[in-house]
Amino acid sequence: MSMNTSRFATLEDVIVDDAFPDLDLALRRGRHVDRDDAAWFALLVDAQDYLEPLYRRYGCELVQKSDGYFYLLPTLDKLGRRHLSPAEMLVGQALALLYLEPVTVETGAIVSREQVLSHLAGIVGSDVLLGALNPKRKRYDERAAAETVRAKVEGALRRLATLGFVDALDETRYRMRSPLLRFAEPLRGAGSAAAHLESLVASGEIALREDESEDPVQEEKAHEEEGLGDTDEAEPSP
Amino acid sequence: MPDPHPAAALVTSLARRGVSLELPTLDLCFLAALQLRADHAAVASFQEDQLFDIFQQVVVLTNEGAGGTRSSKRATHVVRRLRDQRLLVRVDGAGVVRSGEYALTRLATGIVAFYLEDEALTRESLDVLAGTLTACLLAVREAARTASEPEAWRAHVVGPLRVTLFELAGGIERRQRGFDLQQETFQRDISALLTADWFGAVERCTSLLDTTSAVLHELNDMLLRHSYRFSELLQEVREIAEGAGHAEAEHAARGAIEQVDRIAAWGAARQRAWSDYHDWVHRYLRDVVRLDPSRTLIHRLREQLAGRGGKAYALTVANAPAIRLLRQAIATPDAVPVRRPKKEREPKLDAEIASDPDAALTTSIRNALAEGARGLAELTARVAEPDASVDARFRTAGKVAQIVPQIVAIASTEERAWVAAGEGIVVEEWSLGSDERLGPRGPNDPAADEGKGEDDAP
Repeated sequence: MSMNTSRFATLEDVIVDDAFPDLDLALRRGRHVDRDDAAWFALLVDAQDYLEPLYRRYGCELVQKSDGYFYLLPTLDKLGRRHLSPAEMLVGQALALLYLEPVTVETGAIVSREQVLSHLAGIVGSDVLLGALNPKRKRYDERAAAETVRAKVEGALRRLATLGFVDALDETRYRMRSPLLRFAEPLRGAGSAAAHLESLVASGEIALREDESEDPVQEEKAHEEEGLGDTDEAEPSP
Repeated sequence: MPDPHPAAALVTSLARRGVSLELPTLDLCFLAALQLRADHAAVASFQEDQLFDIFQQVVVLTNEGAGGTRSSKRATHVVRRLRDQRLLVRVDGAGVVRSGEYALTRLATGIVAFYLEDEALTRESLDVLAGTLTACLLAVREAARTASEPEAWRAHVVGPLRVTLFELAGGIERRQRGFDLQQETFQRDISALLTADWFGAVERCTSLLDTTSAVLHELNDMLLRHSYRFSELLQEVREIAEGAGHAEAEHAARGAIEQVDRIAAWGAARQRAWSDYHDWVHRYLRDVVRLDPSRTLIHRLREQLAGRGGKAYALTVANAPAIRLLRQAIATPDAVPVRRPKKEREPKLDAEIASDPDAALTTSIRNALAEGARGLAELTARVAEPDASVDARFRTAGKVAQIVPQIVAIASTEERAWVAAGEGIVVEEWSLGSDERLGPRGPNDPAADEGKGEDDAP
């Protein structure tokens, strides 16, 4: 992207654009922007050269992926950041897998909540899924545990929709979007998977869940109470 | 007055009539075989023997004869079912006199045509239909210019507009629906191609997409061009009809214009929808298929989900808190603790001076006796206030009869006369003695007993 072809001459031009305030707030709250957000996407493409240095001053990187989407990645502690919860990751990866399947071409990338659940149960296995989303419950009532799984998947879908990974079409149907490929990003690359993972951790793209069994209950509880993942919020420096 | 909701009325009517269709594969194949035979042999109807013969062939072809039921019996049932559903109709009208003759109904031919005929909109079919329609409209316009009699308007303008144009434009619309169906199949085909041969299918998918895009683009152009010409001609017809004051023709032209607009709108809508789909699939092919030619990513992701893919990770996302708007501080006075007022366990008693409610009356009676009243009637008349109501005076009369024996001695004869004691009050007369007593007498006083209960008013 060259500044010569941009419709903006200065950063001020970008900031006074009508779409900028909403886009800025959305990016700061973790929203991923792709071609389906036509106005925002066009603004980001046109103003990328001005916005990258601007956000860098806030300790963030404005990332553009080759799959065709933008997002803000906090690298310092000036802006708040969080890591997606285990439920969000599970649902996000299942959606990414669905997005990669050829059947997506037939359905126009529209998927229902039930499809996501059955897909997850098919890959992970129902028992493992019940255990994963009902952690630290050695003995549980299967009906109640299934209800918990449904509620957690629904909550995760809702949160992923606010982050721009999917569009909520109605109560039960979602349209998958290209940012879902971010869930598969750590698995890409021809070289060593471990080295790739390490580089992503170093860049702050992902965080490893070193000891998942440490206290997943508290972790999930925190997510549910806040409606968020692991929050790492910092007061901006003066 | 026309029904404001004709569609709703029609749907309600269908529901009320309980319209339904039940068409198993065998019945559908039988109908298709009848239609094909009718086309091939150029016959409009079938004798019963022919029906059974064709049914027998269908049973053999479809391997549906394993049930063991005799073929003729099954054929009878199938024919009965098809007649009940108005798919087959008896046309000879001979009743039981001889065996019947049957024909397919419009419903049956429509269903069969859907499965047998490839009626999608193509460049050729659109050209033929549009050419015929243009010729028809030109003839209608000329007829409208020269028509003078109402009959001529009806025969050469209204009739062709309502029948010929309706049929031709309907033909285009039907083929448009066929094209829609083809698009759905096309999407399934693309998906199947990718499933079967992931990376190898990219070229074929791209080629298919581009070909379909080109066809749709061409069709849309043709539709726009033709529909513009149709609208132009129809507008002329409408203006001529308006000038001639022929409302029926004007109305028919207006209806035809709406139908033509619908045809043009279809092209634009499909072009738009297809354009979105085309872009999206291209993006998918580029971003997903081309970047993962061996489907390694899908495999790794599946393994990761199943817990066999190494370390679990979590994505990092920005999470700036929402801006906090502080409210203005308002100094509030110290709140007084809420307390329930104490209640006395027992309500306090009020000190009241006991009063004799009959004291005033007793005084009045004494005064009346002192003034010389000697009979109960006279005494009562004096004591009772003359302005009081009858009820009040009645109560006073009773009280007087109760109090008087306590004040004076009473002399009473066996036969006591009833005497008026003022207006509306009658009492038994007692002669009152002069020896006024000092206080009330005891309950055993015979005079007191005698006076009791004798104050009955009329």
